[in-house]
Amino acid sequence: MNYPVWEPYMLGGGMVIGIIAILHVFVSHFAVGGGLFLPLTERKAYRENNPALLEYVKSHSKFFVLVVLVFGAVSGVGIWWSIGLVNPEATATLIHVFVWGWAIEWVFFIVEIAAAFIYYYGWDRLAPQTHLMVGWIYFGSAWASLLVINGILTFMLTPGRWIETQTFASAYFNPGMLPSLVVRTAVCIALAGVYALITSSAVSDVALRTEVVRYAARWLLIGGLIIPFAGIWYISALPSMAREISMGAAPAVTIFAGLSIFLSALVVAFTYFGPYQRPRHFNLTFAFLLAVLALSTTGVTEWVREAVRKPYIIYDYMYANSLRLADIERVREEGVLKSARWVRQHDVDPNALERTGEEVFRVECASCHTVNGYNSMRFAVKGWSWVMIDYQLVHLNELKGFMPPFVGTEAERKALGAWLASLNPPPASIEIDPGPSAMKGQFPGATGEGASQQ
Amino acid sequence: MSPVIPAPVPVPLPAPPWLLEFLLVFTFILHLLAMNFLLGGVIILSVSSFLGRRDSKHHEFTRRVSRAMPSVTAFTITLGVAPLLFLQLVYGQLFYTSSDLMAWYWLAVVFLVLLGYYGVYWYQMQHDELGSKAAWVILVTAILFIHVAFIFTQNMTAMLHPQDFYSLFVNGKVGTILGPITLLNIARFAHFMVAAVAAAGLGVALLSRRWQTESPELADWGRRYGVTWFMGGTLVQFLVGLWFLFSLPVEIRQALVGEKLAVGILLLAIILALLALLTAPKSLLTSSVAILGTVSLMAVLRHFVRSASLRPYFDPRLLPVQGQWVVFSIFVVLLLAGLATVGWMLYVFFRPAATRGASS
Repeated sequence: MNYPVWEPYMLGGGMVIGIIAILHVFVSHFAVGGGLFLPLTERKAYRENNPALLEYVKSHSKFFVLVVLVFGAVSGVGIWWSIGLVNPEATATLIHVFVWGWAIEWVFFIVEIAAAFIYYYGWDRLAPQTHLMVGWIYFGSAWASLLVINGILTFMLTPGRWIETQTFASAYFNPGMLPSLVVRTAVCIALAGVYALITSSAVSDVALRTEVVRYAARWLLIGGLIIPFAGIWYISALPSMAREISMGAAPAVTIFAGLSIFLSALVVAFTYFGPYQRPRHFNLTFAFLLAVLALSTTGVTEWVREAVRKPYIIYDYMYANSLRLADIERVREEGVLKSARWVRQHDVDPNALERTGEEVFRVECASCHTVNGYNSMRFAVKGWSWVMIDYQLVHLNELKGFMPPFVGTEAERKALGAWLASLNPPPASIEIDPGPSAMKGQFPGATGEGASQQ
Repeated sequence: MSPVIPAPVPVPLPAPPWLLEFLLVFTFILHLLAMNFLLGGVIILSVSSFLGRRDSKHHEFTRRVSRAMPSVTAFTITLGVAPLLFLQLVYGQLFYTSSDLMAWYWLAVVFLVLLGYYGVYWYQMQHDELGSKAAWVILVTAILFIHVAFIFTQNMTAMLHPQDFYSLFVNGKVGTILGPITLLNIARFAHFMVAAVAAAGLGVALLSRRWQTESPELADWGRRYGVTWFMGGTLVQFLVGLWFLFSLPVEIRQALVGEKLAVGILLLAIILALLALLTAPKSLLTSSVAILGTVSLMAVLRHFVRSASLRPYFDPRLLPVQGQWVVFSIFVVLLLAGLATVGWMLYVFFRPAATRGASS
């Protein structure tokens, strides 16, 4: 509410970030894992004196550069762009806490990009050992950039002691940092396999294809075997409410969490019985199918990771709607419209309650909800009477553990309720057959309209 | 009415503003060098590609220059991260607001850059296969990047005018407010575009020197061709720069003129530009060093304009500070180590083949 609220139509801000972030995660983890795959496979080719394998690594490095350096880099910038637009307050907070972390990550980016180009253009220019060294430099800096950003990401879900100490060290070395680092490193290894399956299945020489497909599948399986163990460790580091949300308290999140496990298992099983057992029969179509499955797994898992952080954007510090916990009392007393800077009115207009309510919605709810699209309010309150809506608003965080409390004056809450009630036609009268005494319509409160008059 | 500016976050700055602003300007200069080469480069390549349809020299020139563009694009993007990071840290209250008002345009930058980047690769990798279509590919790429430059100009200018924020907000829909396209914005945009073309002219002239052993004739032609772009651009820049200076609001211009340091910087920048212009035909190196000075000084001057524009409304020196010196020191050490690593890789890559011991 400190900044103008951008409402990206049907998508909602969360979805804008989500779409960019999921694609970025899928590519950026490959940027790290593929960075390990390249020098290791190159070394294998030298050791086995296998020029065909070396040729494959060369062609894979071209694919790698086109995917990673272009899409990986730009989509990474895209996440930054979108979080700044959707959650400027949280982004500003993160940058204040972690600017030197990001500056360090930037140094690793520069080394990473220089190494990637020199590796790619250096196949015929550099001596094998020097070329390999450049490959290792690439991997080292790529993994180091993961090391930095991982701590910043986990900070949002498990800020740990930072809430009291406010120091960089306690923010970065937060409870989720290490387990998440292991999970993500394993994901990097698995994704290196996924992408290598794409390039290896396109190899024309049958013997080489069989060899490389099986080799690539092994990467995916190794990563896939580490993920569940590291995942359990990671989950044990989560705040208890986050765990509960993913294990039954919020059905949608639970279903997605289950789906994440199911899809991961499917990817591993598919890889084991497909390219690993029968590399000869594996082809590009299967490779793309597997990549789509892996992308879906990434998407679902990242969605769950975001969802369990609700109602916060920075756990125990700032709610998803950018309201700091420390400011709640003040805003409750002053009113949300008086506290917000980017509103067209600072007072509740009793003659235009609905318009006021929409303004309250924009500053307090629109960071997660849209009117008609993703997380639609019109759909959420369909069939609800005004009384029901107001009751929900009063007990918002109690009824829905993943939502922040409504913060504002009573008049603002009523205005929001009036606007929400106006989104749908009034609920139809509930037809209750009163039996032979024929007292139809005589019960006050039996209909939505009746209720709203109370 | 006093401007509506968001409250600062209740977390202190991790270093004093002077250090953050120094890093902001310093890393911006690095970004500017790569960005000039990219933006001016794709414009020069577009023109040369159309000329190259009938002329083999232009054609060969574009083929060779195109090889440099993917890495220039990568470094433009990466070197741009740091200044934007420090900008968000110090000026976030203004930057996030102006960005949110134009959110759709600002987000479009990401997609325009992505498409432009693939355009650069497409042009480079399939330069000969594309035939006469190559010119169109690079022209579209140039148009994409010009749009990026335009959106940046709009946002970086909009954030300097917080007094306009609220009325823009009330009269528009958040996300669609690109802000007024004033004469000042157009002059600023033109100033940047012309600078990019001139600097890229010098850049391609320098690049041409690397072709000396393989094809001395083309190297010589490329050097002269690049210098022509540079000299033409710089001459135009003297006019555009004046136009920009006189489009600045009177109070900003007076603030600049009133500050001896700012006047000194401006004069020195102009003298260095003149020096670069005079020495370009004879000594590329002298000219390049001089223009590096001009670009750096202009970036410092740009910071003066920013501070002067915001002074009535916002002063970063008033923000609370609590230095994170340990992690800052780690950053400095890693930066030096990182630059040394990049230096080593460039050394082994560019050293003469005889000492490289390459496999083929």
